[in-house]
Amino acid sequence: MKIVTVGTGMAAAEFVQQLRLGGFEDEIVMLSDEPHTPYSPCVIPYLLAGEPPNNVFWKGRDFYERYRVTAHLNDKVVEIDREQAQLRSASGRVENYDKLFFAAGSRSWFPRPEWLDIEGVFGFKTLSDMQGIDRYIGEQAVQQAVVIGGGFIGLDAALALRHRGLQVSLVHCHDRLLERMTDADGGRFATDKLMQRSGIAFHMSAEVDSLDSRNGQLHSVRLQGGTAIEAPLLIIATGFKPNSAILNGGEGGIAVGDDLLADPRVLVAGDVAVTRHAIDGPAGVYATAPNAIAQARVAAANILGGNERYAGSLNANVLRKHLDFPVVSAGLFEGEAVTFTNDRLFRRVYLQDGRIHGYILVGDTRLAGYIYNLYVSREPVAAHIAGVLADMRGESYYRSLMDLAPAAISC
Amino acid sequence: MKKIFVDYRKCVACKSCEMACAVAHHPSGSLYGLVGDEKTQVNVRVLGVEHEAFPVSCRHCDPAACLTACPAGAIARDPETGAVVQDPAKCQACAMCAMVCPFDAISFKHTHRALPGREVAYKCDLCHERLAQGEVPACVQACHSGALVFKESEPQREKRAVSSLKVYLLGEGGEPPLFSLHRELRRKTFARRRMGKS
Repeated sequence: MKIVTVGTGMAAAEFVQQLRLGGFEDEIVMLSDEPHTPYSPCVIPYLLAGEPPNNVFWKGRDFYERYRVTAHLNDKVVEIDREQAQLRSASGRVENYDKLFFAAGSRSWFPRPEWLDIEGVFGFKTLSDMQGIDRYIGEQAVQQAVVIGGGFIGLDAALALRHRGLQVSLVHCHDRLLERMTDADGGRFATDKLMQRSGIAFHMSAEVDSLDSRNGQLHSVRLQGGTAIEAPLLIIATGFKPNSAILNGGEGGIAVGDDLLADPRVLVAGDVAVTRHAIDGPAGVYATAPNAIAQARVAAANILGGNERYAGSLNANVLRKHLDFPVVSAGLFEGEAVTFTNDRLFRRVYLQDGRIHGYILVGDTRLAGYIYNLYVSREPVAAHIAGVLADMRGESYYRSLMDLAPAAISC
Repeated sequence: MKKIFVDYRKCVACKSCEMACAVAHHPSGSLYGLVGDEKTQVNVRVLGVEHEAFPVSCRHCDPAACLTACPAGAIARDPETGAVVQDPAKCQACAMCAMVCPFDAISFKHTHRALPGREVAYKCDLCHERLAQGEVPACVQACHSGALVFKESEPQREKRAVSSLKVYLLGEGGEPPLFSLHRELRRKTFARRRMGKS
């Protein structure tokens, strides 16, 4: 059986590794429009903060040799003929497949694509983006940078650059940061902490009006309302779009069931897959590393002769990079809110039918795993969750196991 | 594969395990080396919960939620010992692992094993380097009361490992009389303290 992957991202790399570790001996071909060995998108921002460059290659630099993969890199797949089970690349290469693993990932979405023509303006998605930014900062001795977008990726970018020692301004259209990862109160708490402690200059409820360039190079960023921020570097992190058009003509991802099959010969995983939510959320693109890895493992197990079903995706995430107050969240922020907060912590769960429907934890990770497992296991928690949220020592789980009553809330 | 099991009814909260762990993971290998050293790494934490005490550390689950969640490829299973081991050179301290660990077994700090100036996740490594030398984990060796036991884990326990700590608890055979007395004393002390507070 010949297996072809579209993409060399996390899902595809995990898939191929699992196949080979599971004893799959037949031909594997990987195609990508990028020129790299599989790398971790979660690690690449650290490259800007001065991490060893090899750390991004999360499965090793010798991935293609070690797992006996024929890799066609720098060659975008432009057509997939599902009837004939073959695909064609930009260079004219034609590959037949018995099984196609479609994990083409996603790409940055830019409100004004023409801005990228200016030297010093970058997206923040690929290893090539990071290498470009890194080189530019070095060559131009960049001291100031502007980031557009105060979501997870935008903050990731801003924090990495700040850690490197640049003066960073972040422009966000909303009045609080991380508005998808948090509710209004949790987002406000996280935003205030970031404003006090990150060393980044935030421009909230603001939008970029235009860019001023000199000799083709960025000189300053002008906001609506007239404020101008001088900086030779601009990073745009305003969202992404799944690369699904090549398979189904749309840009909303590809819906798959628990077998991850788009058709009997095509498996879909990663940032292009529309999967059901593991608990009770709507189906959607849940573009996080653990989901991609879990999908890849199910797909590989089934190729190896198993009969596994994908358990669904979770929208759990954590922002902790270069921060001493992690922001953790999952689920939907609807239902009855139970909150514990002090000057250091904000912890809130949303309950529905006495079970956790979503949660936000800002300040530490002490309870994160316990709450995550209460959420995933659908355990009824209404009676004692207030005491759990006030737990400063991480004792709630052990308390429940030793048959001790939940802690009383001390005032 | 052998794992560390806990008979918490025998834990007298002496914290010998914490000390032995710190020494075993310190580059000096000595108690004196720990003094005043902020990079000291202690992979087990004796948690006092009312009158009970519980040594908290990694259970080396199989499958392990942290291993699947790590986006840096920094967590792997040691083939010899079955230990879930972190590579501090690859770890970015992103906390994906801590987000899913049911046991609160993963913490973050600048350790001696981290590259200079970097925080990393750290947790129990089952002393897999000691195991390779034919020794038992440092905490188990140091435990005088028999609360920590290093023994073979049956396959069905491994299957259930992620969902509950209960599979790691021993003590079905009851407790020796002296321990009962000790626990009873602690219970009373705790009750008295609580009354004094209110």
